[in-house]
Amino acid sequence: MTETLACGRPTAPLVEQVAEGRGQMLDEHQARCPHCRAALGEIERLWEPVRAVAAERPQAPRSLVESALRSVRSSRDDVEYGRIETPQGHTRVAARVVVALARHLAAQVPGVEVALGRLAAEGHRPGGELVPDVEAGVAGGSTAVQVTLAAAYGQDLQALGERIRTVVARGVREATGLEPVDVTVHVDDVFD
Amino acid sequence: MTGTDVERDRDAQIDRWLVGRARDGDPAAYEELIRRHRDRIYRIALRITGDTADADDVTQEVVIQLWTALAGFAGTSAFTTWLYRVVVNRSLDHRRRHRPQPEPREADLAPVAGPERSVVAGEAVRAGLAAIARLPENQRVPLVLCQIEGLSYAQAAAITKTSEATVRGRLARARATLLAEMRSWT
Repeated sequence: MTETLACGRPTAPLVEQVAEGRGQMLDEHQARCPHCRAALGEIERLWEPVRAVAAERPQAPRSLVESALRSVRSSRDDVEYGRIETPQGHTRVAARVVVALARHLAAQVPGVEVALGRLAAEGHRPGGELVPDVEAGVAGGSTAVQVTLAAAYGQDLQALGERIRTVVARGVREATGLEPVDVTVHVDDVFD
Repeated sequence: MTGTDVERDRDAQIDRWLVGRARDGDPAAYEELIRRHRDRIYRIALRITGDTADADDVTQEVVIQLWTALAGFAGTSAFTTWLYRVVVNRSLDHRRRHRPQPEPREADLAPVAGPERSVVAGEAVRAGLAAIARLPENQRVPLVLCQIEGLSYAQAAAITKTSEATVRGRLARARATLLAEMRSWT
């Protein structure tokens, strides 16, 4: 394609027009100029692979990112488990699962901008299993979790805390079978 | 202020909160920060290196090294500007380390696939990625940031530490180079 079309118009602005997604928005001259319309059509056709790359939104492989994060994170969270006994055996739930659940559940409560979950240290035996001191001797396990968050400005934070406690406790109980004996909500910041 | 601006402000505010906590040593905040940006990190790496294995390597390196590198983030610019700069530089370094040959000249380029209308979407993507990967670095970076990732000229200029005029000029050259290559395939 030459730098200038037979009609006298330069081609460079046509490339920009197509690349910026305005290829169909013809000005007065272009609407009646066969040279411009042919050039735009040709550029549209040639540009398709670039448009296809832009339209594709591949995601980072989750296992790749998680394994990189594991090498950053302290190993403590990976060795703690909740334990649910049944007559046929037991189910172990990693502490990280409870933390992730709490974070997801809290983040969905209206008024929460961003939430982080962690195990409340006092709820667990160091290096051991999550629960036993709370309901020792009872089948099943308990967990204590802390949610740290930034909230939207202008709301009743105490009520927000209650809503989060309810949602997190119910969600953790339903998903894992562990009993959340303590859900501590720490509102760290409010955003305007 | 548009809805998008409000959303961008809110995202920046959340990033600042998470960065502050991560710098204080909170790994949960760091993980959330990475979760929020992992796909953008991967996509920029993929489009700059042109190779999924290279993009995997860069993403892992960035996730591991950012934890300590955060200490060097002054907080004077948006976190994303700093993050994308890290990703761009690491992607370029990675590519230079693993493909030490000089950038191919246009005359050397062998066609990978023709951008015919009939090609299936996957082929079009592969053809596009291959063409982008062959662009000179200083054209490829603004093209990936603006054309593919949809960042503004101002954001791309901040990331590459150049001016908006430079970004515009390089982007125009990148588009012209790509078009010339596409034409050579047909």
